[in-house]
Amino acid sequence: MQNTLNRIEQMHDSSLFTAAVFDQAESERIGVSNYSYWRSTFRTFFKSKLVIALVALMAAILLMSFLYPLFSKVDPTKVSTRSRNWNLRPSWDHLFGTDTLGRDIFARAWYGCRNSFLLAFCIALSDVGIGMIAGAIWGYNRKLDPIMIELYNIMTNIPSTVYLVLLAYIMNTSYLTLFISMASRGWIVEARFFRNRILSIRDSEYNIASRCLGTPMFRIATRNIIPQIISLIIMEAALCIPYSIGSEVFLGFVGVGMPVDAITLGNMVNQGRASFTLHPYQMLLPTAVLCLITVAFYIIGNRFADASDPRNHL
Amino acid sequence: MDFSGKVRGNKMGKYILRRLLRSIVTLLIVFVAVFMLLRFMPLNGYFPQEMIKETDEATRMAYLRNLGLLDHPFVQLWRFLSNLMHGDLGRSITVYPKVPISTLMAEKIPTTAFLGFWSMLVGIVAGISMGMMMVRWKNRLGDALGNGYILLVRAVPSLIYLFFLQIWVSRWLNLPLVYDKDIPQSWILPILCLSLSSVAWYALWIRRFMVDEENQDYVKFAFVKGLSRKAVLRKHIFRTAVIPITAYLPSDLLNIVAGSLIIETLYAIPGTGGLLTTAIKRQDNNLVQVLVLMYAALSILGVFLGDLLLAFVDPRIKLTEEK
Amino acid sequence: MKEHKGPLLLAAKDIVVKFNLRGQELTAIRGASLDVYEGETVAIVGESGSGKSVFTKTFIGMLDANGKVEGGELLFHGEDMTRYDTENQWLKVRGKKIAMVFQDPMTSLNPVRMIGEQIAEVIIWHFHKSHDEAKKETVELLTKVGIDEPERRYRQYPGEFSGGMRQRVVIAAAIACRPEILICDEPTTALDVTVQAQVLNLIKALQREMGMSVVFITHDLGVVANVADWMAVMYAGKIIEYGEVGEVFHQPEHPYTKALLRSLPQLGVKGHDLYAIQGTPPNLFKEIRGDAFAPRNPDAMKIDFLEEAPAFPVSETHWARTWLLSPQAKAFREALIKKEAETRSVQTPALPFDYEQAEPLLSVRDLSVHFKLGSSRVKAVDHVTFDIYKGETLSLVGESGSGKTTIGRAIMSIYTGNVEGDISFKGRKINRKLNKKERGKLHMEIQMIFQDPMASLNDRAKVDYIISEGLYNYHLFENEQDRLAKVEKMLAEVGLTSDFMTRFPHEFSGGQRQRIGIARSLVMNPDFVVADEPISALDVSIRAQVINLLNRMKKERGLTYLFIAHDLSAVRFISDRIAVIYRGRLVELATCEELFSRPLHPYTKALLSAAPYPDPDVEKNKAVLSYHPERESREGKEWIEAFPFHFLYATREEAEKYVHENI
Repeated sequence: MQNTLNRIEQMHDSSLFTAAVFDQAESERIGVSNYSYWRSTFRTFFKSKLVIALVALMAAILLMSFLYPLFSKVDPTKVSTRSRNWNLRPSWDHLFGTDTLGRDIFARAWYGCRNSFLLAFCIALSDVGIGMIAGAIWGYNRKLDPIMIELYNIMTNIPSTVYLVLLAYIMNTSYLTLFISMASRGWIVEARFFRNRILSIRDSEYNIASRCLGTPMFRIATRNIIPQIISLIIMEAALCIPYSIGSEVFLGFVGVGMPVDAITLGNMVNQGRASFTLHPYQMLLPTAVLCLITVAFYIIGNRFADASDPRNHL
Repeated sequence: MDFSGKVRGNKMGKYILRRLLRSIVTLLIVFVAVFMLLRFMPLNGYFPQEMIKETDEATRMAYLRNLGLLDHPFVQLWRFLSNLMHGDLGRSITVYPKVPISTLMAEKIPTTAFLGFWSMLVGIVAGISMGMMMVRWKNRLGDALGNGYILLVRAVPSLIYLFFLQIWVSRWLNLPLVYDKDIPQSWILPILCLSLSSVAWYALWIRRFMVDEENQDYVKFAFVKGLSRKAVLRKHIFRTAVIPITAYLPSDLLNIVAGSLIIETLYAIPGTGGLLTTAIKRQDNNLVQVLVLMYAALSILGVFLGDLLLAFVDPRIKLTEEK
Repeated sequence: MKEHKGPLLLAAKDIVVKFNLRGQELTAIRGASLDVYEGETVAIVGESGSGKSVFTKTFIGMLDANGKVEGGELLFHGEDMTRYDTENQWLKVRGKKIAMVFQDPMTSLNPVRMIGEQIAEVIIWHFHKSHDEAKKETVELLTKVGIDEPERRYRQYPGEFSGGMRQRVVIAAAIACRPEILICDEPTTALDVTVQAQVLNLIKALQREMGMSVVFITHDLGVVANVADWMAVMYAGKIIEYGEVGEVFHQPEHPYTKALLRSLPQLGVKGHDLYAIQGTPPNLFKEIRGDAFAPRNPDAMKIDFLEEAPAFPVSETHWARTWLLSPQAKAFREALIKKEAETRSVQTPALPFDYEQAEPLLSVRDLSVHFKLGSSRVKAVDHVTFDIYKGETLSLVGESGSGKTTIGRAIMSIYTGNVEGDISFKGRKINRKLNKKERGKLHMEIQMIFQDPMASLNDRAKVDYIISEGLYNYHLFENEQDRLAKVEKMLAEVGLTSDFMTRFPHEFSGGQRQRIGIARSLVMNPDFVVADEPISALDVSIRAQVINLLNRMKKERGLTYLFIAHDLSAVRFISDRIAVIYRGRLVELATCEELFSRPLHPYTKALLSAAPYPDPDVEKNKAVLSYHPERESREGKEWIEAFPFHFLYATREEAEKYVHENI
């Protein structure tokens, strides 16, 4: 031991054993982790190549489905009277071939995408939007609780077919009917989801602190609540899209979906099904597009949900 | 903390009674809402196209009056309910004219329930095993395969994959394309198709609950006790994760009588699946009412029984009820 | 001087643990060493983030998935456990030879399995015994850890047990295999003081009986004094001082240990600042060079910033890693000792608060608060009456669930509809429907400081907004510049610089966050502040800072505090009067000195006797009283003034008895 001490003594300059200057700011420094919620969320989200590819693909499809109808001269509703134009296999003239009436399936696919997207966006917007507001009111008002729970039970206990079919019959089949029949139901499910989240935020200490400071409701909503649930909103909206396209297909199958002459992905799948055994491509190609969209949005929604959870920010 | 059995019994009884009353109120509201909605339907819907052409207004009105469809909705409601009290479900109007609905149901429910029961068993067994497999090999191949399956089943509209399964798998395995109650091979595909989504559902939730439980302190403590990962998964994580799932079992069991519209149509199964839709389309009010009442009652009963079952299997719930 | 009781059992040498966090590699343990001898208790003391938990987790191979032991060795029975790479190797040690008890008994047990099963499974797993044999042993274990009616309790679920009982069950499961080493990771931190004393006694008794070694992790020096034979002080991933417990307490050498012991509120003199450690403990992201404590040490030497000190021996049984012990630092050390002796000159305590002249600021009359739990009503606060005088600090002391926080929140009007009784502030009743103006005025006059600094700041808002929130609400600024100036001034008052304004709360440590919380509450210049356990979630080294800050604010701004706490040491230092609350009822209320010198109610006595005191000589010989009223009866009890300004909730006979016992 004595040897080591001697060695240390030899190693150090004795001027080092004098008082150092104390720096108050330095003592408060804990080491910054460079953590930012949104940066970490996006980094985790885009770390997967699959996600990057899907987001890029969806952006391209989205863009194309809105640009194609503006710039293309092909009329998706143009029926050919000549039978040699019917049921053409895919070729350079008709990338996806033509259907039993000689309409170009490629063009119809883009129109279908656009219409289905529009419908899905509207439904996502209203479901999540109304759901969030209703959920917030529900979460903040204890007296509403029994009423809302009862409403939720009632609306989820009426078999969805009954509801959709009834509404489609009472009003005529149209985009609006489909929208109303789907949107008038979806919001309550979202409302319950948001209500549970908002309940836990409402009782959190920082929110109680805001109440003690007398912060008005509006600022509590914009500062305390929305920043916490915005990632949930994005996720729920993304997941609404496969759901609404799926419902559209189902309603087409039941026969109460869109009017027959409306071009939507759901209609194309259902119409293609009839001629599947003879001309499989008429169904396969639009179906592939549809599945690509629903699967992509499903993956994007779920991956975003994972990425927005701080526990996954590694 | 400690309560004698009698106190517990009393509290439990009160709880059940309260829940039951609430369920009945919900059921009534659902039923009345659907009943009233049905009265908004156009009167012409009650007749086939030919009948409208062949008969005059007066005959048709007489026909409707005869059926009681022109009375005030509340009168109709009252009539329906009082008949129901006497065990009379009424008769079908347009779909199976004049056939008593009870006969109709007795004919159709067994087929649907039979297929549904087996598919539910497949769903639970395969789904739970799949979920456990996914947790056992989390973030590895087993998990990826399971996730892929769940993704396809949940993201692709069911009509699409059911349609392709019917066409391709029946050809591949040389199975009959449609259902025949005398040919057991023809049951395989419908049962399989019926179970697809429930397999995904059980797997998804078992996985999610187990992954949530994995981070709990008691799981860490179980590891610290020296148990192997396999033992901890089985004895601790799975046992906690499966509890919330049990709440859905009664619903699943009861709802099998509703059948699946798509599968029963694709395989031409003479079950209850398409009945409701057809009945609504043809405005067979009696049939719709009975069906809606039945389905709503079953699903409400299912939720109710699920809560009871949960209170029975989850020791945490008894306590909060007692406090 | 003290010898080790038995042979060396486990030797951890220069353990290095690294974590991979968001792509960054961080060193959590920077070469920590510890020897565990048979039959002894060694306590590891450190703050959150010092790595004490991580360090001991390496003993049983339980690091989180992103952590890895990168260096050093762990010798146990001649094997280096850092080389274990399969689960099977660990399974022979974990739970069987080295067992562990966690901090929170409420979450350590599986809520859906019977408690008996959870103990028996260890016996079955490790010793392959039959179910019946294991059950028999489990019943014996339950008896051993002090659980009555073990046969019946065996079949119960954790939900039917209280926190203290659950911790006993956890301990029973941990000792089921008669392990050689029991690691206790803050096993009593989540428990109430009276329960804590019982659990500590249980651990000590079991250790004696079974001849185990215990590694005890804690941040509480009082607990260390109670249980430990040896203590190791950990700071920033390194053991910086190690020795026999009495030696370290009485002659600490490392500046951090010294400062820690000096800053304890038990040593404070009323009316004066506590000795406070500056700054904030480092986290994993901070790069450390030289002595990790040097940046916070006002008396650091230049070499402390350059190079890490080796372990210099103080005696045979005590060493410390500080350059002060180097022969070269002799002159500096002597000067330092002299300087310390000067500053430690006797301070005279401030005069006690004058209650003869005091005017009440806030009055609480017959306050009851109830909650709905399922279908039944639970009374959290039951007919509580007290006054708070202008300028005083009234402390409300009680165990968890006693209703103390509920009283604070009722005063803040957080509850609606379930509050009965009167709360009046400056003579006006405030628990009624107020109009917007009155409510706003009240918000400006009464503010609250919260317990958990991690939960009480909105982590999606910047510090700037958090502090300005009150200013925005009542538009208490002329223009943007004025607002910024006000925020800056407030930050400076709580000891933070203005460049913190644009940061988010997660970039701060607990103590800094708590100071931000205090700034947020005080920016509107309130008269009255409800401080709800403002220091109990903080690290020991920064508690003194926050206590001093609260006291300084009180003096400068003429504040009145309602201080809610369970930690008696801080209460004694900070308060003028103390109210003891038990199960929603106030049981005793007296001035601070009066209560500590002449406690009357048996519950108060139990509370005082159970509080750990940071001196091994005192702590090891103390007797703990317990209070278990057989029957909760309200009959005949009333609020009696036993001595001037000393109130008691009891029947007349009881009061007489209590007073008689104290004369």
